[in-house]
Parts: sequence; structure tokens; C-alpha cells
Amino acid sequence: MEHGKKKDAPLKTAGLLESKCSRRSFLKGASIAAAAGSAALVTGGCGSVASSEESKLKWQEFFKKNYRLMTEQEKDDTVNRLERLAKLQRGVDIQMSNQEPINNVLYGYAFNVTRCKGYMDCVEACVHENNLDRKSKTQYIRVFEMDPGQLDPTSGDGKYYHEVPVEDKFYMGVQCFHCENAPCIKACPTKATWREPDGIVVVDYNWCIGCRYCMAACPYWGRRFNWGDPVVPKEEINTKQHYLGNRMRWKGVMEKCTFCVQRTRLGKLPACVDACPTGSRVFGNLLDPDSEIRFVLKNKKVFRFKEELNTDPKFWYFMD
Amino acid sequence: MKILTLRFALLFILPAAVLLLCPFAMAGHGSVLERIHDAEQPFDNMQVESTYQLPVKTVRAKEIYQGGAFRVLARKDSISRYRCSVCHTRKTPQVRDGALITHGDIKINHGEGGNELACIECHDRQDRDFLVDTEGKKIDFDHSYQLCGQCHFRPKRDWLGGAHGKRVTYWAGERVVMNCTNCHNPHSPAFKTKMPETFSLPLDK
Repeated sequence: MEHGKKKDAPLKTAGLLESKCSRRSFLKGASIAAAAGSAALVTGGCGSVASSEESKLKWQEFFKKNYRLMTEQEKDDTVNRLERLAKLQRGVDIQMSNQEPINNVLYGYAFNVTRCKGYMDCVEACVHENNLDRKSKTQYIRVFEMDPGQLDPTSGDGKYYHEVPVEDKFYMGVQCFHCENAPCIKACPTKATWREPDGIVVVDYNWCIGCRYCMAACPYWGRRFNWGDPVVPKEEINTKQHYLGNRMRWKGVMEKCTFCVQRTRLGKLPACVDACPTGSRVFGNLLDPDSEIRFVLKNKKVFRFKEELNTDPKFWYFMD
Repeated sequence: MKILTLRFALLFILPAAVLLLCPFAMAGHGSVLERIHDAEQPFDNMQVESTYQLPVKTVRAKEIYQGGAFRVLARKDSISRYRCSVCHTRKTPQVRDGALITHGDIKINHGEGGNELACIECHDRQDRDFLVDTEGKKIDFDHSYQLCGQCHFRPKRDWLGGAHGKRVTYWAGERVVMNCTNCHNPHSPAFKTKMPETFSLPLDK
């Protein structure tokens, strides 16, 4: 009896892998199935391993590669699977993209500390755009109310809630600075985080093991951890998603600002820039000499936060 | 003997020089500033095809920025009682229409305290469909930046370059920026105090 079940299992699951069955993938499938089969025996045999479409997709998702090692075809496949899974699991129709970076683009960001009034429209827009967890109130952007002369957000008040702006205070927004020489990338033991050619530091959520080394390595507190499964009301889910951006995360993975990769690679401004009512946020292509961001760097007084750490962030503060 | 001491000295000088130059060499390697410095060629913003359609009415600005021509948001459509010449005619107004047709709701809070601007300092006295600058030149409502820039020349310079004001929706494609009056109420241009949109929890308890 036991013997027969073990023999059945490889046949069942090898079919699941669908692809042209090379020797390598057959062996992989077979060994996985053997392991699964014996596990099923131990737990009393749950026969539903491949019974539904959902578990089939989940199975294929589990054995996918790191995003950077995927071929174009594999990227498209996983995106299609995730779209289908979102429909099956949450009942939402999403459009996920795996849009590649635009050539000759390096994104840069500038923040006007003189103009920001602390209205926090940016934070609200970011939460909705990036499907952030409403339960733990995760926010990629923090805005600090600061005393004049201070330039370190640790000295500011990050949890103000009163009429703004207050006389004799200024406001400073902090988020991921997308360092060119990013400590978080070096700290990651699974290579789940890297810098894309257009300068955006992204996370492959499937390869993140949740060790939080990157969180400890980041000198700017730019990373957020999912302590529980993120809660987003179904009708508030942003359905325009990107594989490396705002697709739904789960418990135990790291996430961070991606300069709204799902928007910027289509030529749009990030949600925070679009939402700012004061025009304190400037975004653009650093490699374009005519861009707004280059004008700011050339004509305004700019500084970068903790520049002495040699992290080379692509986020400048400037003043009028 | 002398050569020997010189050689001996070199033994220290060379490593010291290497050590001193090392940080410079490391910092310069592919850093952001270096890449920015090397980027001289203008980027073809029109190659990003998703930016072609903007669902708002824009007009071509009468000035240029560092990248050439650009567009601003049209303003006249959003002025509720434009064209002004509908009321501002030679016809004598009726007293009973007074409350409806005057601008009693407008409080001017623009200019030094106690010395606010008068209506006709910006609006053309003869032709109410236009604004007027100090030299008497008519200015279209869609191009109010030409008027504001008379006094606020520094913000205007920044606005032209991109350090003040906002682009509309796209960073790529044809440059479309907001007009002065999209954000500032011309009769009371300062931003109001209000409650923040949301709040943050403390980072660590």
C-alpha cells in the first residue's frame, strides 16, 4: 500500500511542472514529489496536493527563480500566475507588470525643506498606491516636524497631529533614498534586494527570508517589515501593480519605497510627488541635463542626509 | 649612502601616497555625481510613449525653460464667471443684481499688511477679460506667470527651471507644469494652516 502511493506521486507532480521535461527538471520534480509523497504519508495522506488550480499555481510559484535569473518568458509566466492567484484568492482583477527599466534613466529625487508644510498628503497617497498594511499603519514616508537649524530627523517630532504648519518649525520627509552604494544590498544574505539599472533599489519578496539584516544596515530607517499579513480592504487594493513594486506582500517579508516603480517606468511621477500640494517634491531623470532635478542640483542649495557615510543616496534636500 | 636613505624613504612614501589617494579613487568610481557629470546628452523624453495623453487642457507657455518649449495648464476654463466682459459692459447694472454680480466674496490678502494690492493693479481696467502688467501690457489669464513674475521673479525663475511648482502627472514626455494660480489663490496666495491628512505611529515605543 505504502509502496504504491509513493510510486504514484512522482507521476502526478511531474505533470504539474508542465514545461518541456528536461532531465534536470524531471529529476527535480521527481525528488520534490517523492519528498511531498512521504510527507503526505506521515500526515495521513492529504490527497489535495494538485486537485485545484490554485494549489497548482502555488506549487509553481514556490519553485520559481530569483527575479534577476528569470528569462523573459519566466517573468511573464510568474506575472500571469500572480494575476490569476489574486483573482482566486482575493477575488480582485489586477494588472501586474514586469516593465523593464528605461534606457539612459537614473531616477533622482529632491525635497524642498522650505516649502513642505507637513500636510502629509504624500504619506496618504503612498499608503494607497503601494497597498501598505492598514492594520499596523505601515508608512514608507515619515515626515518630521523640526526645530530651525536642525538637520537630523531624529531630533524632530515624527508623530505630530495638529494644525500645520506651525510657526518657527519646518518639515522634513524621510523615505528610502535609493543609495547607489546601498548598505542594505550588501547585508542581504539571499540576494533578495538589489539596485536596478535605473537606480531603484527593489526587493524580490519571494526571495526575502525576513532576517531583517537590511533593516539593521540601513542608516536611514528606510525599510519596513511585515510582522503580520498585510491587511488592505478589498476595494482599496491598487490593481495596477508591478512585480518588484506594490504587489501584495505577506507575513515575514521586507518591503520599502520603490519610487513607485509601477508608475515611474511608465513615465509617471511617484504617488507622493503627484499628491504633494506644495510642490516640495521634485522627481526626474538625473541623466537628462534638462530635467527639473538637474536644475535643482545646479541652482539650489542642496545637501544629502548623512552624506559622510558614502552611501551615495539619490535623494537631495534643498532650500529656497 | 644618500641613495640608500632615499630608497629607504621611498619605502614609506609610496605606501603612504597610495593610502592617501585610495579614498578619492574609491569615491569617484561610478558615483552618482560622477554619472551626473558625465551625462551631457539630452534625454529623449518623448520616447516614453505612455505619457502622450493628458486628460486636461493645456496651453503652450510663452516662455522657455532649459529644455525648450513647455506647456502650462489652461486656466480660463476653471474661472467660473469668465468671460468677465459679459457683466463688465457699458450697460448700467441693476441694483437688485448687486449681490450677485459684485465680487463681495473676494478678500484681498496679497501684498504687505495694510497695504494690499487693488484689483486694477492686476486686472485690466479697460478690458476685463485680461490681466495687465505694470507697463500696461495685456496678459492672458492662461499666462498669469508673466504677471506674477514681475514681483516674484525668484520663484518664477525656479518655476521655469523646475525647483518651484509642480509637473502634472508625468516626469517624462512633453513638460506640462501647473500655473501659479493652480496652487495659489491670487487674491490670497499664502497657504493656509490645516490638519494633516494622516498621522504616524512612533517608530519605536
